[in-house]
Amino acid sequence: MATEDRTRELFEALKQGVIDFDEDAVRETAQQVLAEGVDPYRAVFEGMLDGMSEVGRLYEEQEYFVPEMLMCADALYAGLDILKPHMPKNGGKARGTVVMGVVQGDVHDIGKNIVKMMFDVAGFEVHDLGRDVPLEKFVEEQLNTNSDLVCLSAMMTTTMIGMKEVISAIKAKNPNCRIMIGGAPVSEAIAEKWGADGYAKDANNALKDALRMIQSLKEI
Amino acid sequence: MNSRERVLEMLQGRQVDRIPCYSGMGNVTLAGLEQYGYRFCDVHSNAGMMADAAASSYKLFGYECAVAPFDLCVEAEAVGCSINDYEAVNAILYPTIREKISEDLDQLLAYPLPADVASRGRVPLVCEALRLLRQDIGAEVAIGAYVLGPYTLAGQLTDLDKLFKLTYKKPDLVNAVLDRLADVTIAVAGAYRAAGADYLCIREMGATTDVLGPRLFDKTISPHLKKVSAACGNFPTILHICGGTNKIVKEMHGVGCSAISVEAKNDLHKSRADIGQEALIFGNVDSYNVLANGSPEEVEQSVLRSIEGGVDAVWPSCDIWPTAPLANLTAMVETVKKYGLEKWVRRAV
Repeated sequence: MATEDRTRELFEALKQGVIDFDEDAVRETAQQVLAEGVDPYRAVFEGMLDGMSEVGRLYEEQEYFVPEMLMCADALYAGLDILKPHMPKNGGKARGTVVMGVVQGDVHDIGKNIVKMMFDVAGFEVHDLGRDVPLEKFVEEQLNTNSDLVCLSAMMTTTMIGMKEVISAIKAKNPNCRIMIGGAPVSEAIAEKWGADGYAKDANNALKDALRMIQSLKEI
Repeated sequence: MNSRERVLEMLQGRQVDRIPCYSGMGNVTLAGLEQYGYRFCDVHSNAGMMADAAASSYKLFGYECAVAPFDLCVEAEAVGCSINDYEAVNAILYPTIREKISEDLDQLLAYPLPADVASRGRVPLVCEALRLLRQDIGAEVAIGAYVLGPYTLAGQLTDLDKLFKLTYKKPDLVNAVLDRLADVTIAVAGAYRAAGADYLCIREMGATTDVLGPRLFDKTISPHLKKVSAACGNFPTILHICGGTNKIVKEMHGVGCSAISVEAKNDLHKSRADIGQEALIFGNVDSYNVLANGSPEEVEQSVLRSIEGGVDAVWPSCDIWPTAPLANLTAMVETVKKYGLEKWVRRAV
């Protein structure tokens, strides 16, 4: 059993490996985590996800751009592939169910994929509809899965307008479902105007907002 | 001076009577389509309809150009991609790429690009629309066309996610692919010119600094844009990149086009300080938040901000979003006519 100091050291190495998009280093450290009996769940949350938060900050400060962010995500996935099979399944219960996709007319799914990764890691049941998704498909899938949350993404101004329609259609059928929107042209003001419950500036905020929304839903 | 002379003389570096109001990007409006009873999804695949729709912006509100095409898939389609036209969807959706050439960049490098790419897909159709425009209003207004920059085209032909990562990890491979795709851009540009286009906008939106770091721009984007710009010779060209462009404005200028065009996010004063008084800078009225969704007063203020920021032509930040109200579009053109000499910073210097 590793000491707390050693555990911290491993978490730090995972975090740095994600930030440096060093897949080999992350894989190696993840193996050490298992070999030394460190809690894999903590390794993911206190190591790799801390790294991803730092990546988010670097992106915001324009130190990192999309290519760097994607490489960091690859490093995170490399570690996750090793650790996830050993993680407790949260009592068999997902933290929430989410339907997500990129609206019709838009084929840019990089942002959506990063958000999806965050939800995966955090233990959500994710129903990913992909890109260029017909608007009625979101409504159908929400009803089929009775998801707590629907996340809509658009990268172009020209397609973001479709979100408005999806939001009202879902809210009409299931007022309790929370809806979050994101993507380059989207803003807090637009989310509010169209009746979405949240606007996510980036993947970190999407996850935080989602957890908060689902918490409030369960308290009702 | 008529609109045509004003636009073209300026692009050739000569003095003109005022700032013009035009664009090198899509200018189709619902107001224009209504005049002819056309559906948005149909104008991309019919030369006559494309020409009518493009000319309607000049006829309806005095826009000082007509531009074809309206969508961004023409080159990718000519190379061999199939496209979605959303014919069955009752909404304004621009065509998108249905199938990539290959998810793999090595395969794209090896893919035989058609030698007659400028005779494939809808390139001949766009050429026909340009010819029709030339006959219809070509004596009064300049006819423009646009092409995609090699990097943006690569993003359509292959997996974007992989392209971004390889731009960082394997710049030599990416450069080899882009060098070939620049030939596609050049061939299509040549066909448009031969069909009667007076000027060409090169759109490299895939390389905005919102996505790609400025260091990579210099290494993998600029060289290929320079190749295209040089191949265009004395055909006037404008390089447009959307998103944040202040960090790459010197490189954009260095590409060697007749002018650069930037969007609302660009700090024009900084750009002018970076590239000097001689450079032509076009822009930067927000085409969605202001032109489509603002009031005519907001449009006027926004146009004035661009002029006072030092632009030499007022261009919307992107394609005109088709639902933009006629009153807003008229306000844009009229404000330029009214203040385009008096407040023109460069003319006053």
